[in-house]
Formats: sequence, structure tokens, C-alpha cells
Amino acid sequence: MTTVTVHPTGEVVEVRDGETIMGAFYRTGYAMRIGCKRGGCGFCKIDVHEGDFVYERPVSDEVVTPEEAAQGVCLPCRAVPSQDMVVEFRENSLRLVNPLMRYMLSGKESSAHQPRTRVPV
Amino acid sequence: MAIMRMGYAHVRVTDLAEARQHYTQTLGLNEVAAADNKVYFKGWDEWDHHSVVLEEGGVGLVKFGFKAQYADDLADIENKAQAFGATTERISKGEELEVGEILRIHTPSGHLFDVYHDITSGQSDVGNVNPEAFPRDLRGIGAPALDHALITAEDVGQMERFLHDVFGYWTAEKVATSLDPADQHNIAIWMTASNQIHQLAVLEGPQSKLHHFAFRLEEGWEITRAADLFAMDDVPIDIGPTRHGITRGKTVYFFDPAGNRNEVFAGGYYSYPDRPMVTWTPDALGKAIFYHARELNERFTTVLT
Ligand code: FES
Repeated sequence: MTTVTVHPTGEVVEVRDGETIMGAFYRTGYAMRIGCKRGGCGFCKIDVHEGDFVYERPVSDEVVTPEEAAQGVCLPCRAVPSQDMVVEFRENSLRLVNPLMRYMLSGKESSAHQPRTRVPV
Repeated sequence: MAIMRMGYAHVRVTDLAEARQHYTQTLGLNEVAAADNKVYFKGWDEWDHHSVVLEEGGVGLVKFGFKAQYADDLADIENKAQAFGATTERISKGEELEVGEILRIHTPSGHLFDVYHDITSGQSDVGNVNPEAFPRDLRGIGAPALDHALITAEDVGQMERFLHDVFGYWTAEKVATSLDPADQHNIAIWMTASNQIHQLAVLEGPQSKLHHFAFRLEEGWEITRAADLFAMDDVPIDIGPTRHGITRGKTVYFFDPAGNRNEVFAGGYYSYPDRPMVTWTPDALGKAIFYHARELNERFTTVLT
């Protein structure tokens, strides 16, 4: 489990092992500017300030140029954090659209699904 | 008639194994050949050797192939392309797998169009004698054939003239800033040279980009079923199932594993050279593209490969 913190607003989202940054934000009620969700269009680009990630699939040099990659540009639809990250979205592309899904943050989600223990009479 | 149809779409993909899974298991195309870092596919109702070529490395369009009816058409189209001012080259037989001599045109939109007449031809999967309606072992959505494509270009009017003068296409529908042809700026065009309502569409945008290439389905319910299969196979749907105002076709847009946009398209009306062209005005663009939602999503006009 890693976390992604959004600069400068300070939202923190927990990312499950193997989950993409986009997947974690979607799961927790956010909407972000997204295109193909496949690393092909470059529409979802964000800037990484801290931390590191790996791509779950190869990403073309034409989509994120080596210069952009060196500057910390990342495709959240394919990027899986390998450590806690601080990222910045572009043009206010991140919005909380479903506050209820905040309750699906991974830790709380599992406890919410615990079966209730019956109190013996 | 010179150009009969779009014959093949040749695109780049980042991971050939994943793309192969998508095009064979989800779309239901047949893999017909693999050579170098390319894989070739055809739909069950196509008889030419291939209609899709996937090449590993990158994303986006390499080129489109267009099949001409007669061998002589190549020289004729070559003259017209050169008269238009487009660069052309000849590619000798055998350089493209199973394809004869090619006239390669560098279009004003920055794309590569291969025009050819010879390609290894066989029969469709149901055969040519007493054929059944479809092969009973279809996979996934079982797409029968490649249908059309949409590309972007900075100057849509120039591409309309090019496709008219060189390919003999006519415009079935367009989105234009004015109803007065003398004072019209084209935002998008849908063109064809047959009863097929569109073979190629061009939308205002960057040069040499791919918006989508589409596969034909027959019925509206197959479009809904395709969307169900995309959900099962974790294929990102861009929009749909819905209907287009333009062409009246039923549609789902989705992305292949590299991020190239695909479409499945069913229906639409017949085109004829004498059918009056349909013009849409920019204020109705949302309804023209997505008839039900009547608004364009941001992705549709800006996400390209
Ligand atoms: S959405 Fe297309 S690259 Fe991320």
C-alpha cells in the first residue's frame, strides 16, 4: 500500500498494491481528466513532485517524451506507485465527484464488510 | 468506380500480445499471418488477405490501405494525386505482405494512404457456395469486417477536395460553419464512393492523427452486446451504446490495449452520388455526433493517437 498526495490541495488517496494512480482515484470517488485509459493518448498527464512509480505496461516515447519523463511527467492510467508520491494535476483536472465513495478507502472498506458478531443471549 | 473500400488499417501498438488478445478474442477477428513484428488479421466476412495490421512499437496510425477496383486505377489515381500536389511513391509487389504493387500517397493531412488492386484473395469464413449466415464458432463480438475510419487534419476543406479529386469520393454529410457553400468553413466531412454511408471521415484537428477505425456490425442489438463484452473484457468504453445523428449509425467507441480508438458501427442509411448532401451546423454538433446525449464529451474531439 502506498499513498498519493495531491499538490497543492493536500488530498491523500491510498493506492493498493498493483493499482494504478487513476484506479485508486476512481475507486475513491474522484473524477479526473482521462482519455484512453491505456497509455496511448497522453490526455491524462500529471506532474510528479515526489516519489516513484513503475508503468504496468510499456508506454510509448511518443506519448511521454524522454524529456517529459525526465521532468517527472507521468501517465496515471498506467503508473503504479512504487513508493508514496506527491503529484500535481493539470488544469484542475481532479474533482471529487462522489463523496460517498470516500468511504471505500481501502482500510475502512474492509472493516465495513466485517460480518456483525451476534451477541449470544 | 476507382476506390471500392478501405482495405486495411495498419496501426502501432505498445504490446503485441495484449493487442492480439483484444483483436482476436474480443473483436473476434482471425489472425491470418505474423511476420517480423507485425500481426495480420481479417474479419469472417472479408475475403482479402487482411484488413488490420498491428505493428509493435508505439501507438497510432502507420497507414490505411484502399482497394481500387481495376489495376489501371493506380496510374489514374497517381496522376490525379500528383496534379493535386501530393507526393506519391510506388511500392513494389511483395514489400507489403500478400499485397501487389502499391501507390503510396502522402496526403495533405499528413497521412499515408496505400492504393492497391492486387491482394491475395480467398473466400470468407462462410464460403462462396450455399453459405450460412455466419460462422457458428464466432469469438467475442465476431466483427465481420473493417468499415471506415476517422482521421484529423488541419484543413478539412483541402482534404475534402483531395478525396473528391483523387479518390472520386463524394461528401455524404458535413459539419460546416455556414449553409452557404460560398462562405463555408468545413469542420468535419463524411465521404464515400459507394452505398456505404462513409468510408472515411475527416475532423478538424492536428495533422496525421488517428481518431478511430471502425468495424461493421449488422444490427443495433449487436452494438449493445458488444458493449457488454467490452465490460466483461475490461475494455475502456469511450461512449455508447448510442446513435449518431450523422449517418444514423448505431455505435460504441472503445480503446484497444495501446489506446487507439476503435468503433463498432451498425446501420446508417444508403449513400448515392445524387443524394443531397446533409449539412450540420456547429450549434447542432453534439446531436450530430451523439444523437441521444446531444452533447460532445471532451474526450471525443481531443483524444487522438
Ligand atoms: S488516458 Fe490516455 S494516456 Fe492516460
